[in-house]
Amino acid sequence: MIKAATAVIRVDGVSRWYGSVVAVSDVTFDVQPGITGLLGPNGAGKTTLLRMMTGLATASSGTITMFGQPVRDNPSLYRRLGVMSEHETVYGFMRGREFVRAMAKLRGVPHLDDAVDRAIAHVDMADAQHRRMETYSRGMRQRMRLAATIVHDPEVLILDEPLNGADPRQRVHFKRLLQQLAAEGRTIVISSHILEEIEELADDVLLVVNGKLAAQGGFRAIRAALNQRPYHVRVMSDAPRKLAAAAVTLPSVDAVHLDPDGAVIVLSRNVLDLQVALPRLAQAEAVRLRKVEPLDDSLESVFGYLVEG
Amino acid sequence: MSTVYLLTMRQLAGRWRLVIMTVLAVLPVLVAAIMVSSADAPSVREFEEVVLGTIIAGSIAPLVVLALAGPAFANEVEDRTLANLTLTPLPRWRIVLPKLLATITLAAPFIATSALATAYVAFLGDPLAVVAVTASAIIGVALYASAFLWLGLVSTQAIGIGLLYIVLWEGFFSGFVSGVRLLSIRHHAIALMHGIDPRRFAGGDHPSPEVAAALAGLVLVGFVALSVRRMRRMDVP
Repeated sequence: MIKAATAVIRVDGVSRWYGSVVAVSDVTFDVQPGITGLLGPNGAGKTTLLRMMTGLATASSGTITMFGQPVRDNPSLYRRLGVMSEHETVYGFMRGREFVRAMAKLRGVPHLDDAVDRAIAHVDMADAQHRRMETYSRGMRQRMRLAATIVHDPEVLILDEPLNGADPRQRVHFKRLLQQLAAEGRTIVISSHILEEIEELADDVLLVVNGKLAAQGGFRAIRAALNQRPYHVRVMSDAPRKLAAAAVTLPSVDAVHLDPDGAVIVLSRNVLDLQVALPRLAQAEAVRLRKVEPLDDSLESVFGYLVEG
Repeated sequence: MSTVYLLTMRQLAGRWRLVIMTVLAVLPVLVAAIMVSSADAPSVREFEEVVLGTIIAGSIAPLVVLALAGPAFANEVEDRTLANLTLTPLPRWRIVLPKLLATITLAAPFIATSALATAYVAFLGDPLAVVAVTASAIIGVALYASAFLWLGLVSTQAIGIGLLYIVLWEGFFSGFVSGVRLLSIRHHAIALMHGIDPRRFAGGDHPSPEVAAALAGLVLVGFVALSVRRMRRMDVP
């Protein structure tokens, strides 16, 4: 891999194992300013990788640097780094503002109250800042945690599944905020197991599967690779035999078979074309489509394809 | 005032914990009052052995300190809030020392008051004896706190392991294995009490006050250093 000179974070041949279990295996990548999405199914090794990138956990082998400095046992780096873990690491007995203020004080933030006001306003929590955190909803706690993460104005943000527990309105707000922070020149690494979250946010995507880096690049390139993989699509209609006979003639269809329950299972390597061709075919054959659903659209199957393929 | 210190004070000052600590602190005073008022009043040596050595320095002080120092880190590890402290530019000793001070701040008043009242009742207000008992109790609190604080960093079972340590090491082995006494916080505290008031307290198989002071310093600095080292090397959940 060619390493760009501007890499903010450099992960080089990093592995981590627990006894005989390999959580992360020989991963190498660079992170540049902007938003980088770390995508992978649950248990893929994302959190372990992020914990090593933040210096919370040590790598069994390999090196991780940030701004050219080792991240492990290097507290001064945390002036430039903000981390939000996937766990709700809050003190329930504290009020929201108190929590953000304490985190700012621990990081030696000057003009404390101004910084706290700014961070809380960023996450739109000014109205609830004086409530105890144990009374917050999960989404509110996440937002206050984000305020505590950005209160010292860090150049790098590492966020592990930050959208968990957020409602749709909060998600929109959260995404806008991250985009704004990235536009200001920050480096943001955000992990998720949900493809769409990363698609909307990240300029660059790191796909992690079974502890390995399965792919890296722009989301469109990865999406295109995903669209060329074989898909199984289940089609319910009022005339399954007629539909099956007609569907085999479509260029986007590789195979068709009929299920005993009357469903037509279509195998396609060009699902984008199939999405257009199938309704037209049904209309031409006067077949009424009742339901069309992908059978293997889970993230695990997508990753499985990328790793094997 | 350090944020870590204030945070730890709030985390540890739970109502039930304080109630239990109060009950424990009252016990030696009651025992002393009963012993002194009985017709068969014990000698100073017997009183020191039973009340000051076994009950205060060997049981009440370590139990109270364990209830505070054990969870000071262990609860943060379990709740995963320790990352809030480690993901800061603070040198690790600036996390360990305020935690230690907060633990001592909370435990010392209970143990010191208990020791002071016990000594006052037993020695009829003899100022030097009261000072010796109280000061040695506070030193014991500091030593136990440094040990149990470290224990909370290396194990989430700090309370269980700490109880075993109190019963087996401080209570059982140090009672009859002379070599163990050199490594027993209880005996360090008692030896220092002898050093402060040699007029009233003398005899017994304890290290000399000078040796005890050196060993106590070593225990305190050693466990703080071990805690700092552990914080630098551990995987923080």
